[in-house]
Amino acid sequence: MDILCILSSLLILYLIFKIWKHIDSKRDQNCYILDYQCHKPSDDRMLSTQISGEIIRRNKHLRLNEFKFLLKAIVSSGIGEQTYAPRIYFEGREESPTIQDALSEMEEFYIDTIEKLLKRNKLKPKDIDVLVVNVSMLNSTPSLSARIINHYKMREDVKVFNLTAMGCSASVISVDIVKNIFKTYKNKLALVVTSESLSPNWYSGNNRSMILANCLFRSGGCAVLLTNKRCLSGRAMFKLKCLVRTHHGAREDSFNACVQKEDELGRVGVHLDKTLPKAATRAFVDNLKVITPKILPVTELFRFMLSLLLKKLRRSPSKGSTSNVAQAAPKAGINFKTGIDHFCIHTGGKAVIDAIGYSLDLTEYDLEPARMTLHRFGNTSASSLWYVLGYMEAKKRLKRGDRVFMISFGAGFKCNSCVWEVVRDLSVGECLGNVWNHCIDQYPPKSLLNPFLEKYGWIREEEDADTFKFRT
Amino acid sequence: MPDFSSSVKLKYVKLGYQYLVNHFLSLLLIPIMAIIAVELLRMGPEDILNVWNSLHFDIVQVLCSSFLVIFISTVYFMSKPRTVYLVDYSCYKPPVTCRVPFATFMEHSRLILKDSPKSVEFQMRILERSGLGEETCLPPAIHYIPPTPTMDEARSEAQMVIFTAMDDLFKKTGLLPKDIDILIVNCSLFSPTPSLSAMVINKYKLRSNIKSFNLSGMGCSAGLISVDLARDLLQVHPNSNAVIVSTEIITPNYYKGNERAMLLPNCLFRMGSAAILMSNRRSDRWRAKYKLCHLVRTHRGADDKSFYCVYEQEDREGKIGINLSKDLMAIAGEALKANITTIGPLVLPASEQLLFLLSLIGRKIFNLKWKPYIPDFKLAFEHFCIHAGGRAVIDELQKNLQLSGEHVEASRMTLHRFGNTSSSSLWYELCYIESKGRMRRGDRVWQIAFGSGFKCNSAVWKCNRTIKTPKDGPWSDCIDRYPVFIPEVVKL
Repeated sequence: MDILCILSSLLILYLIFKIWKHIDSKRDQNCYILDYQCHKPSDDRMLSTQISGEIIRRNKHLRLNEFKFLLKAIVSSGIGEQTYAPRIYFEGREESPTIQDALSEMEEFYIDTIEKLLKRNKLKPKDIDVLVVNVSMLNSTPSLSARIINHYKMREDVKVFNLTAMGCSASVISVDIVKNIFKTYKNKLALVVTSESLSPNWYSGNNRSMILANCLFRSGGCAVLLTNKRCLSGRAMFKLKCLVRTHHGAREDSFNACVQKEDELGRVGVHLDKTLPKAATRAFVDNLKVITPKILPVTELFRFMLSLLLKKLRRSPSKGSTSNVAQAAPKAGINFKTGIDHFCIHTGGKAVIDAIGYSLDLTEYDLEPARMTLHRFGNTSASSLWYVLGYMEAKKRLKRGDRVFMISFGAGFKCNSCVWEVVRDLSVGECLGNVWNHCIDQYPPKSLLNPFLEKYGWIREEEDADTFKFRT
Repeated sequence: MPDFSSSVKLKYVKLGYQYLVNHFLSLLLIPIMAIIAVELLRMGPEDILNVWNSLHFDIVQVLCSSFLVIFISTVYFMSKPRTVYLVDYSCYKPPVTCRVPFATFMEHSRLILKDSPKSVEFQMRILERSGLGEETCLPPAIHYIPPTPTMDEARSEAQMVIFTAMDDLFKKTGLLPKDIDILIVNCSLFSPTPSLSAMVINKYKLRSNIKSFNLSGMGCSAGLISVDLARDLLQVHPNSNAVIVSTEIITPNYYKGNERAMLLPNCLFRMGSAAILMSNRRSDRWRAKYKLCHLVRTHRGADDKSFYCVYEQEDREGKIGINLSKDLMAIAGEALKANITTIGPLVLPASEQLLFLLSLIGRKIFNLKWKPYIPDFKLAFEHFCIHAGGRAVIDELQKNLQLSGEHVEASRMTLHRFGNTSSSSLWYELCYIESKGRMRRGDRVWQIAFGSGFKCNSAVWKCNRTIKTPKDGPWSDCIDRYPVFIPEVVKL
C-alpha cells in the first residue's frame, strides 16, 4: 500500500482516539449530589419559650428597652418552639464559653451526621477524595477539617479546604469549589460539611444591633456527598445545572451591613445594620440578572424583554408619572415558575422569605418549605438550605426532572445561588434518614404564632425602665 | 531518621504499571520507528531516492494529509492541561517602628510576666537559640504593655499588611483591581466576619462576579493550599488570573499566660504577608516569573500523634494559646517522608529512581544488608525553599535531605531577618534567592511547607526567565549584609 495511505490512516485513527477521549472527559464533569444528611440535635437541646426567657433574663446588661426590642424581634421572627441551641445555653455558661465547648458542639454534629451518611451509602471514610468544611464563626487550630480527617482516619492525599467567615452563603461556595475540582479530576467523591458554631459567639452586651444575632441563630448542620463518578450517577439525587456567585463587597454599605466587631465596652458581637435588607435586595437583584438567562426558557426571556420594552415606550412620553413607578418595590416581572419548580430560600428570617416571595411572585405553596424550616429549625445559617430541601423531599414534592433553585445570602455582602435538577424520582419510596421524617405529618401547622407573645406580651405595656422587674 | 523505604515498594510497582499503560501508544511507536530505521539502513541511498521518485503526489492527497497533520497537532495542543504561571509576587516589608530587637522583647517579657520569672527565663533561652535576628517585627498592638489584642487592632494589622502587599503587587504587575477573576485569602488564626477576602474586595472595589475564597485554620502550609486551589480553578476557567494573599495576623493570638509549651509561638511568630498573582493567560507567558510544575499535598491527620502536635487549647488559667508538642520534629520528618514518596517519582531523574528501585529490590527481595538509599534531590532542584518554621525544622530537613548550607541559606536568612511569618515565609525565601541574583531561567525550585493537622505540602516551580536583582522589595536594603553567620546561641 502507499506509504502516504498508511500514514494517513494512522493519523486518522489517532485523531479519532483523541476526539473520543476529549468527549469522554467532558461526560465526567457533572456534579451530582449522592446523598445528604441534616443534623437533628438531641431533644434535650430544644429551646422553648420558657428557656429562652430565662436565658434573656440572665443577661444582666439588658434593660426594659432592650427587652421590648427583643420581644418584637422574636415574635416576628417566625421561629417556633422546637429549635435547637448549644448545650452551654442550657448550662447557663453562655457568657464564658471554652474552646472545648465549641469543639464538642461541632463534634456532636459531625460525628452523628457523617456516620449516618457514610453508613447509608455503604462508603468508607477512605473513599473520600475531597473534603470541604465551612463553619463561619469557628477558627480552631488544627482546623475543623483536620479534626474530621483525624476522627475518620481519612487518606493522606485527601484534598481538603477549610472555609471560614463566609457567612450564611458558604454552603454554595463549598459546592462551587467541588464543582471546579470535578472539572479537572475524574472519578472523585467529595464531602461537604457545613454548619455554624454558636457556643463561642454569644454576645454579652446590650447593643441592640448585636443582641439580635443571639436570638436568631440556631444549631444545625449538614453533610453532603457529591460525586462525578459515572458508576454512582445512577444512585444520585440531584445534578448541578448552574451556580452563580455575586459579591457586593465593593460597596461600602453592603460591606458594613453585617460586621463582627467590638461594641463600646470591648465585647465582641455581630452587628446587623438596618441597611441589611437593602443590601440583600441589591445583591439578590444582581445575582438574578446573571442566573435568569441561564435557567429560564428562551420564550419566557423574550416575553420579559418585550414587556420591558413596552413599559419603557409607555413611560417615555409622559415623564411626570415616572416617579410613581419608581416608588413601587422591585417586582421581578418575570415568571420564574417556567424554569424552576421548587424554591430553596435561605431561612434568614421571616422578612427575608417574605421579600423574596414578593419579588419573585411566589405563592404560599412555594414558600412553605422555607417557612416551615424557619419554624422548626430556626436560622441554622449556611446549612438551612439543606433543611429546606429535606422538607421538600419529605413532602414528596420532588419528581424526576424538577428543578430546585437555591438562594442564599452572606456577610460581605454576597448572594450565591444555584440550580439543581432532580435525576431520580424522589417522590416515591421512603426517604431514609431525612431529618423531617418524625414530624412531617404535623406540617404545615394551623398557626405559626409564637407563644412568646402570650407569655411575655406584658412587657409592651411596661413604661418605667427603672422600676421594671421581670415577672415569670 | 525515618526509614524511607518501607511503605514505598508497592507504590513504585503501581507507578511503573501506570506509566506503562498511560503511555502505551507512544511506547508502541518505538518498535515501529525501530523497524522503519532498520529498513532505511538496509535500503541504501539510491533505493531511497528511487522510492521517493516513485511516489505520486496527488495534490488532493497532499492537501488532505497536511490538513490532517495541522488539525491533529491543534487538537493535541488544545487538550493539554493549561499551564499555570506565577506572574509576580510581592512580600510585605514591615516599617522600622514595628521592629522588636531582643532587648525590647525581653524587657516587655519581664514586665508582662513579672509574676513568673521562670517563664521569662524560658523565653530568653528560646530567643537565644531561635535563629531570629534583631530586625523581626511585631504588630503595633503587641508593642503595648500589656498588649491590646482587640478585634479592631487585629483588623488594622490585617489592613496594614495585606493592603501594602497588594498595592505593591498592583504596581509591579500593572494589574488593575477590576481584572482580578479569582481571589484567595489565607490567614490561619484570625477570621472575622465579613471575611478578609471580603475586606480586600471592599478596599479595591473588585468585580461582583469575582470568585473569592477565605481559607483559615490550615496552618503555615496554607499558602500552598491556596496555590493548589488557584491551580484547580485556573484549569477550569480559561484566560483568567488569580490573586492569592497569604498572611498570618499575630495580634489576636498573643499568649498571655505562662505555660511553657505555649510561649513558644510568641517568640517565633512575626508579622508578614505576601500577595501572589497567578495566571493561565498565554499573553502572560513572557513576563511570568515561574511556571507551576507540581503540587503535592499530604495530610497526616489520620495519625493521632501528628494531629495533636500543634493544638490550640486553654491552659490551666483559661488563657488560650497554641501548644507545640515535643515530637514536632519527628512528626515533621514523617510527614516529609510521606510527601517525598509522592513527589519523588514526579521530579527525580530516571537515574535516581532506578538506583532507589535497585536498592529497594536488593534489601527487600534479596535481603542484602544495604543502607536505605536516599535519592539525591539536589539533582532535581537548584533551589530549596523550606518553611522557616524554626531553626530546628531547617536543621532537621537539611539533615534528612542531605542539603548543603547554601541550599538552606534562603530559609535560615529569612528566619533571621523576618522571623517565622507562617504561610508567607516561602515567598520571602524565594525573594531572597532572587535578590541574590541566583535565579536563572530553567532553574527548578522546591517549596516545602508544614502546617497544623499535620500537613506537609510541597510545590515545584520552574523559573521562566532569568530574574534581575529586584530594586525594591523586602530584601533590597539589607541583601548585601547577607548571608550572616548565625551562632548556635546568642548570649542575651
